[in-house]
Amino acid sequence: MFAGSDNDILVKNTTHKVVLPFYLYAALSFLICTIILFFSAKAFTQHYFHPHILAITHIMALGWGSMIILGASHQLVPVLIEGSLYSTKLAYCSFILAAVGIPIMVYGFYIFDMGWPAKWGGRLVLLAVLCYVINLAVSIVKSKTKNVHSYFIFTASLWLLLTAFLGLMLVYNFSYSFLPKESLKYLPLHAHIGVIGWFLLLVIGVGSRLIPMFLISNYINPKLLWLIYLLINVGLVFFLIKFLYYPYGSYNIPIGALLLALIFFGKYCYSTYRQRIRRQVDEQMKISLLSVMMMLLPVIFLVSITGWLLADKRNVQIVLIYGFVIFFGWITVIIFGMTFKTLPFIVWNKVYHQKAGLGKTPNPKDLFNNRIFIVMALTYHSGFILFIAGTYLVDVFILNFATTYLILSAVLYNYNVIKVLLHKPAKE
Amino acid sequence: MNVITNKNIKCTIALAALESVMDPEIGLNVVDLGLIYQIDFDEAERKIYVTMTLTTQFCPMGESITGAVKRVLESTFTCEEVFIELSFDTPWNHERISEHGQHFLNK
Repeated sequence: MFAGSDNDILVKNTTHKVVLPFYLYAALSFLICTIILFFSAKAFTQHYFHPHILAITHIMALGWGSMIILGASHQLVPVLIEGSLYSTKLAYCSFILAAVGIPIMVYGFYIFDMGWPAKWGGRLVLLAVLCYVINLAVSIVKSKTKNVHSYFIFTASLWLLLTAFLGLMLVYNFSYSFLPKESLKYLPLHAHIGVIGWFLLLVIGVGSRLIPMFLISNYINPKLLWLIYLLINVGLVFFLIKFLYYPYGSYNIPIGALLLALIFFGKYCYSTYRQRIRRQVDEQMKISLLSVMMMLLPVIFLVSITGWLLADKRNVQIVLIYGFVIFFGWITVIIFGMTFKTLPFIVWNKVYHQKAGLGKTPNPKDLFNNRIFIVMALTYHSGFILFIAGTYLVDVFILNFATTYLILSAVLYNYNVIKVLLHKPAKE
Repeated sequence: MNVITNKNIKCTIALAALESVMDPEIGLNVVDLGLIYQIDFDEAERKIYVTMTLTTQFCPMGESITGAVKRVLESTFTCEEVFIELSFDTPWNHERISEHGQHFLNK
C-alpha cells in the first residue's frame, strides 16, 4: 500500500521537546556533581556512609545516570519496543517530578536531614519513576511485537521502581524505625537493585540494540540476550533472598551469575564488532565499547570486598572505589559515548527533518566538536584513574587533583551538549 | 544497480537524483546503500511509486529519509506526485550495498 510519505509502517518518533530537557538536566547534574566532589574530596578518606558521599551518589545515580537514560529511553522506545511512546504528557510528568525531587532529596542527604527534604524528594522521585513505568508498560502492551529488548527495559524499569520505593522506605526508617534493622544495613540491597536491576539491565537492553545498529553489524543473537537477561535477573533475585533471609556466607552464586552475564554481553559486543559492515569505528562507539569492558571493574572490586579482602584494613577504601567505578566508571563512560550518538540525531531531526533532500545538510556528527570530545575522554580517564589512586592511598591532594580533571571533563561535556542543543542551520 | 522499474531511462534519472539523499548516520546515499527496491512511473496519471527500505525497520531517521526521497523526486520530476512504500518483507542486508558503497564503508 502506497501512502505518500506517511507510511503506517514507520513508528512515530518521540517529540524532541520532551527528550532534550532530560539531556540538559543530566549534563548540568554531572557538572554540579564534579564540583561537589571537588569540595567533598576529604569525605572519600572516611567511611562511605558520609552525607556528602550519599548526596554525590544520588546526583550521579539519579540526576546524571537516570535522567539521561530516561530521556534517551523515551526517545528510543520506538527503536526498542517497535512501537510508539504511549504518552508525551506522562513523559513530561516524569521529567518535572524527577527534576524537582532530585535536588530536594540530594539537599536532604547533603545536610543529613532525613525529615522533609529527603522524604519529599524521595516521594517525588518515586512518582516520577511510576509515571515512566506506566508509560513504558502501556507502550509495550500497545506495540505489535515483543522482543527481548522490550523485556530488558521493562524489567529494568520495575527494578528502578523497587529501588526508589526501598530508598524511600529507608528514609522513613530513619524517623520511624519500622524495619527489622537500621537503614544503613539495607544500603547494599538498595544500591545493588539500582545498579544491577536498573542500570545494568537497561544498558545491556539498549546497548544490544544500538551497538549493532550504529556499527551496521549483521550479528543478531536473541538467544544469547535471553540468557544474559535470565542470568542477571535470577542472580539479582537470589541476592535479594539471600540478603534478606540468609545474610551470612558467600554471595558466590549471584556474583557468578552476574560475571557470566557480563562475559556473555562482552562476547555479544565482540561478535557485533567483528561482523560489522562499516569498518571505521568513531570515537563515540569506541568509548561505548570501552565501557562494556569497564563493566568488569566493579565485579573485581565486588569479589575483593566479599572475599579475600574482607579482613583488609583498607576495606572501606575498596568499598568507596567500588561505588566510584560503577557511577564514574562504566555508567558515565557509556553515557559519554551514547550522548553523542543519540543527541545529535535528535537535534538533527528537529532542525533538518523538513530540509533533508532540499540541499546540503550537515551530518549529525558535525553538530558537536569531536576534538573536544576526545580531550574530554582523555581528561576524564586521567581523573578517573587518579581518583581511584587517591581514594586507595587516602590522599586528599591526589583526590583534589583528580576532581579538577573530572570538573574539566564535565565542562567539556557540557560545552558539546549545549553546542548540539543550540545548533541552528547555516544561513543560505 | 538492483532496482526494479518499468521505465529504465526515468529510473536512471531518479537514481542519479536520489544519490543526494544521505543516510545521516552512515554518510552514504540511499542508492549506494541499496535502500531503493523499485521505482515505477505512471505517466498517464503523472505519479511515481517508490518501494524502499531502511537499514533497520525502526530507524529513528526513517521519516527524514523517506521525506527526503519524496522531496528530491518531486523536484526532479516536477508536477509528478510521489508515493513511497516502505517494505521490510525482504529486509535490507549488506549485499545490497553497491561496490562504491562497499568501498566507502571499508575505508
